[in-house]
Amino acid sequence: MDTRAYIESGIIESYILGVASPEEIAELELLCTQYPEIKAAVDAFALVIEQQAMAGAITPPPAVKENLMQQLAGEFAVKQPAAIFTLPTTNANDNISIQPAAGYWKFAAAAAVILLVASAILNFYLYSNYQNTNTKYEALLTEKNSLQASNGAYQTRLNLLQQSMDIVQNPAYTLVALNGLPGKENNHATVYWNSTSHDVYFLSTKMDKVPQDKQYQLWAIVNGKPVDAGLIGDCTDGLCKLKSIEGASAFAITLEPKGGSINPTTSAMFVLGSVNKQS
Amino acid sequence: MPDTIKYTETELVLLLKERDQSAFGYLYDNYSGALFNIVLAIIPDRELASDVLQEVFVKIWRQVALYDATKGRLFTWMMNIARNASIDVLRSKSYNNSQQNRELTENVYANAGTTVTNTDKIGLRKVVHSLKDEYKILVELSYFEGYTQDEISKMLNIPLGTVKTRLRNALLQLRELVKN
Repeated sequence: MDTRAYIESGIIESYILGVASPEEIAELELLCTQYPEIKAAVDAFALVIEQQAMAGAITPPPAVKENLMQQLAGEFAVKQPAAIFTLPTTNANDNISIQPAAGYWKFAAAAAVILLVASAILNFYLYSNYQNTNTKYEALLTEKNSLQASNGAYQTRLNLLQQSMDIVQNPAYTLVALNGLPGKENNHATVYWNSTSHDVYFLSTKMDKVPQDKQYQLWAIVNGKPVDAGLIGDCTDGLCKLKSIEGASAFAITLEPKGGSINPTTSAMFVLGSVNKQS
Repeated sequence: MPDTIKYTETELVLLLKERDQSAFGYLYDNYSGALFNIVLAIIPDRELASDVLQEVFVKIWRQVALYDATKGRLFTWMMNIARNASIDVLRSKSYNNSQQNRELTENVYANAGTTVTNTDKIGLRKVVHSLKDEYKILVELSYFEGYTQDEISKMLNIPLGTVKTRLRNALLQLRELVKN
């Protein structure tokens, strides 16, 4: 819209002087909210009229104020006798007076809000610290448990090795070294045999990897005949106890189908070693 | 005035709404002269005008909660209260009885625009006085006597549209006179 024409139409003056019609008032107040320049023109003319009235001020009789103060005496707010502080004023155009009670409460409210915020921040800080510590504690606990478990495993293994050492060092046991046969020269194994208690222990020194469906089987040669001395399972940790054998002259290992055989498959013999009687 | 505190309009209104006595005293000291000017321009009788002024301040005090600063200046609001209160008195029976030589309400057609007499030196009257006659009547009837444009149109037997345009032109001219 043409705000300039509107401003210059005289409607603003009608409005300020109170002679505009209700429709004109409604229209102007609406336009004031939409066009800052119209609002500014309204304010400007209001100020002109105000200044004109101020300049032409006529002091009324003093009785008017006295009467007024008497008439309205019961309607004034009761003043708090508490500390009243007014900001000292330097510039007459720009002075501020602060209501004492409101000021105090504002200060108290501001202090309370600051304390609340500070407390909230501290709480948050402490809580996150607590969470952190808790997480670390949980991690340590897990680590400790896993260390304990592996410690247990090591202990078991150590015990096993200790037992193996006892057997190896025991003079009652005869060491039988099994060496690789032609074509299987890379293979070596050791058998510890107690000729008195007949206990047989096997130590896998170096054997070829076993196919999935096969298994090594130890044979003892007793009186020239092979006797089953037991299937060799997973025997990586120390010595493995196999079947007791009496009167063995030699030991041999063959590769047999899983579960073992009654008679050895001599074509699949890997290592062989005879017992050296050293008594 | 021993009181050296000066409030901004916003502070003053806030304190008045909080029923602060010293703020009311400040309001009176600061604006009574200007508002008396407004009242006297309509009610030339000083004694009667003083009564009206007192009534005006009572109204301001009791209605300050209704004042909306976003709609305009405090003085504009107070000025309208002063003008309306004055016009109410002007139109009251007792006032008209006291003005023995004039019967405004009953013979307004004849007297329209001719009531400007001894108040010519006061406030807006002084300015209006220097307008040309056809403008002067309209401002007189609308601003000083509070007639609506519709009423004026009938009183003067001029079309409403003409009253509207002419009054606006009159006020524009008045604006220029006030500014200078």
